[in-house]
Amino acid sequence: MRVPLIVKVGTFALAVMGVYAYYANSIPQIQSTLPEELSLEGGNVTPEQLVKAGEGIFKGKGTCEICHRIGQKGTRAPDLAGIGAAAAKRKPGMSAKAYIIESLLDPGAYLVEGYPGIMPKVDRPPIGLNRSELWATVAFLQSMAGTVDVKLDDIPKTAGAVVGAEGAAQGAELKLPGDPKAGQVVFMGKGACIACHKAGAIGASPIGPDLSQIAKIQTPEYIMAKILDPAGMGTVAGYPPNLMPPTLGQTLTAKEYIDLVSFLLTLKGEASAQAPAASKR
Amino acid sequence: MQLDVIKSPSGPMRNFQTRATLLLAGILLVVAGPAWAQGTPGGQTEAYRSFPLIGSRLAVWGAAQLHLYFAAFILGVPMFAIIVEFIGWRTQDARYDWLARQFMKLTFAAYSATALLGGLLTFIFITLYPRFFGYLVEIFGPTMWVYAGLFFVETFTLYLYYYGWDWLSGPRKGIHLGLGVLLNIWGTILMFVANAWLTFMMSPSGVDEAGKLTSLWGAIYNPTWMPINVHRLIANITFGGAIVAAYAAFRFLGARTDEERAQYDWMGYVGNFVAVSSLLFLPFAGYWLGREIYAFNQTMGITMMGGFMSWLWVVQAILIGVLFIGSNYYLWLGMERIPGSERYRPYIPYLVMILAAGFIVWATPRSMVATLEETRAMGGTHHPVLGVLGVMSAKNTAVNLMILTTFVSFLLYRRANRVATVSWVRSGMTAQWIIMGVAAAVVTFYGVYGYFVESIVRIGFSVYQVLSVLAAIVCVMAIDFPMFRRARSTGAIRWGQIAPRSQYVLILLAVSFTWLMGLMGFARSGIRQHWHVYGILRDTSPEAVTPALGYAANMITAVTAIFLAFVVLIFWLGGLGERGAKG
Repeated sequence: MRVPLIVKVGTFALAVMGVYAYYANSIPQIQSTLPEELSLEGGNVTPEQLVKAGEGIFKGKGTCEICHRIGQKGTRAPDLAGIGAAAAKRKPGMSAKAYIIESLLDPGAYLVEGYPGIMPKVDRPPIGLNRSELWATVAFLQSMAGTVDVKLDDIPKTAGAVVGAEGAAQGAELKLPGDPKAGQVVFMGKGACIACHKAGAIGASPIGPDLSQIAKIQTPEYIMAKILDPAGMGTVAGYPPNLMPPTLGQTLTAKEYIDLVSFLLTLKGEASAQAPAASKR
Repeated sequence: MQLDVIKSPSGPMRNFQTRATLLLAGILLVVAGPAWAQGTPGGQTEAYRSFPLIGSRLAVWGAAQLHLYFAAFILGVPMFAIIVEFIGWRTQDARYDWLARQFMKLTFAAYSATALLGGLLTFIFITLYPRFFGYLVEIFGPTMWVYAGLFFVETFTLYLYYYGWDWLSGPRKGIHLGLGVLLNIWGTILMFVANAWLTFMMSPSGVDEAGKLTSLWGAIYNPTWMPINVHRLIANITFGGAIVAAYAAFRFLGARTDEERAQYDWMGYVGNFVAVSSLLFLPFAGYWLGREIYAFNQTMGITMMGGFMSWLWVVQAILIGVLFIGSNYYLWLGMERIPGSERYRPYIPYLVMILAAGFIVWATPRSMVATLEETRAMGGTHHPVLGVLGVMSAKNTAVNLMILTTFVSFLLYRRANRVATVSWVRSGMTAQWIIMGVAAAVVTFYGVYGYFVESIVRIGFSVYQVLSVLAAIVCVMAIDFPMFRRARSTGAIRWGQIAPRSQYVLILLAVSFTWLMGLMGFARSGIRQHWHVYGILRDTSPEAVTPALGYAANMITAVTAIFLAFVVLIFWLGGLGERGAKG
C-alpha cells in the first residue's frame, strides 16, 4: 500500500518534534514558583528563628545567591563570609547593622571596590521583600561572625511598601462600610481575639502575634482571608499552628465581620496606643 | 471552470469582504477593548477570568504563539520576495518573478489566518486578563490606533501589490517594486509597534514607580525594544525562508514531472539560502538582546542564563546544532547535483568535525541540578573538565566557528561548478583563506582570553568575536564576486536531481526553526516569572507559576503541530486554485 506523502511528511515532522519534547522532558524539571510572603511581626521570634527565616530568604525569594557566595569569591558580588563583623568596618562611623540595612535598601550608596553597582534595591520589585523579610535577612547576614541584634523597628517603615501598578491599586484606600468602634467590641467580645492578640493598648497575651500595626504590614485581603480561613493563610513564624479558631468567620455576622476588619485596618502602629475604643476605656 | 479564487472575478471581492470584516473586527476590538476592560459599572475590574478546560494561561499561550508564527511568516516572506522580484527584473530571468509571486501567494493565504489569530488573542486578553489589558491600554492606547491604521494601509498595499502583479509589469515594474518596498515598510512598522508592547512587559520604562505613564516614547523605546526589533526582523526572514523551503520540498516530493521537480528544487534552495544567510546574523542579534537584558536588570539576566531557565539553553543548543548541521548537510547534498563539485568533497569531513565539536561545546551545560552523590563525584557543582566548556566564552567561540564553517560550505557550493579565470586567482584565494584564518584566530583568542578576565570585561569580547566573523564574511565575498565574475563553468546545475532525503532536511529545518521560535518565546516570556509587567504589575492569577521546561516543550510541540497543520491546510487550499486552473 502506498503511503500518502502528507502522512509521511506529517509523521516525520511529528517525530522530529517528539524527539525535542522527549529531550526537554528528560532533563531536570525546574519551575519558578510564586514567592510566599513571610510575616514575622509580633516580636516573639527568637534570633535563631529569625536567622533561619533569613537564610531561607537569602536562598529563595531574595535571589541573593545568584550573585553572592558565602566563603567563595564571586565575580559579580562580594563574598559574604564574615559579613556580620566585616560590615562594621566598611563605612567609618556606621554600625554593621546600619551598613547591612543600607546595603539592602540602597545598594548604590557604597560599593565594595572591584564590584559593579548591579545590585537592585531588595525591597522594590521585582524582589520586593517586605519589612519582616528584610528584618530576617539582616539577622541572617549579622549571624555570619556578628551579633544578631536587629529589631523590626530598625527597618525603616517606608521599606517594603508595595509599588508598581499593583501597589497603586492597593494604595487606593479601601473603604469598608464597617464601624471600627463596633469592630473593637467584636475584637474584645464575641470574636475573643483579645484572648490571644494584642492590639495597641488593648490585650497583652503573647499567645498570638501582636496586631498593633497589622494594617501597615499586611494587606486588607490578607486580614480578611485570615479571619475566614486561619489555617489556609499559614501561621506566623514563632507561633504554634492551628490555634486560631477555624470557625471564627462563620460565627460572626456579616456586619460583625466587616466591623472587625474595619477595626483591624485602623491598627497602623503609631496610633496603636490610642486605639479608638481603648482610649474610652 | 475557473476555480482559482485569486484569479476569478468574484474571488478577490469575496476575499476582500472577508478580510475587511476581519479588519473591522480588529479595529472594534482595539476601540472597544479599553471600555470592555473597565469591568463593572462600579469601577471594579476583575483581574482574571478562567478559560474552560485548558485554563487561561494555555489559551493565551496558544493563541499568542500561533499568531506570532503566522505574523513572522507574513512579515518575513515579503522581504525576500521583493529581493527575488528585483533580481528577476534586473536579470530578466522569468524564474525569479515566478518565484516571488509564489512566495507572495503563500503570504496572501496566511494573511487572513494572522488577522484572525490576532483578533482571537485580543479577545482572550480582554476577556481573561482585563486588568492587565486595561493597564496596557492606559500606557499604549494611542499606539493601538496607529497599529489599527497601519493594518489598513498594509492590507490595501498587499492587495495592490499582489493583484497588480500583471497590471504593473513591463515598463511599470518599478512601480510594482515600489509597492513591495512599501508593503515591507508598513509590515516592519507594525511589528515595531507590537514589539513595544511586549518589550515593555519585559523591561518597562517611561513610567514612574507606581506604574503611571510619564513618557509614551520612553515606554516604547524601552531597553529591549530595539534589540527585539532587530532580532525579530532577522528571525522573520529566516523563518519565512525555512517555511517556503519546506513548502517547496513538499511540492518536490509530490512532483510528477522533471520540470516540476527542477522548479521546486530551485525554490527550496533559494528559500533555504535566504533562511541560512539570515540565520548567520541571528546569534549576533541575540547577544545584543542578552546584553540589554543584563543591563536592564541583572536579576532578570541571571535568571535567564543561570537561574531556573539555564537548562533551556541546553535544549536550544540541540536545536541550533540541528540547524547548523542540517543546513550544511543540505548544501553538501546539493553539491552532488553540480558537475565539478567533486573537487571539494575532501574538505567536507573537516567541516563535519568542526561543526560536531562546536555542537558539543554549545550543548555542554555549565552547571546542572545533580544529586548529592553526583555532585561529590564531580568534586563540586561544576564538572572539573566539561564545566570549562559550559561558560559563554566557550559557547561564543563555538557558535562563531560554526558560523564560519557554514559560510565555508556555502562558498564551496557557490563555486562548485565554477573555475575562476582571473589572473589573480591564486592570491585572491590565499587572501580569502588568510582572512578566514585570522577571523578564526581572533574568535579563538578572545574565547580563551575570556577565561582570565572578569565577566564584565568578558561580555565585551563577544562583540570582537562577532565583528571579526562579520568582517571576514564581507571581505571574503568582496573578493569572491569579482574573482568568479567571468568564471568558466564546469556544467550547469542539474536542478531536480537531488536526493529526496535533502527535501526531508528542508522539512527538518522548518520544523526545528518553528519549534525553536516557540522555545525562545517561552524564554523571553518566562524570564518575567510572576510578573505581567516586570516589577510593575504582578501576576496574581492562580496560574502565575512559570512552568518547567518539559511542560513548556509539550505545549510548544502541540502549538507547532497545530501551526504546521494550519499551514498544510492553507497551502492545500492554495493548491486547489492551481488544480482548478489546470483542470
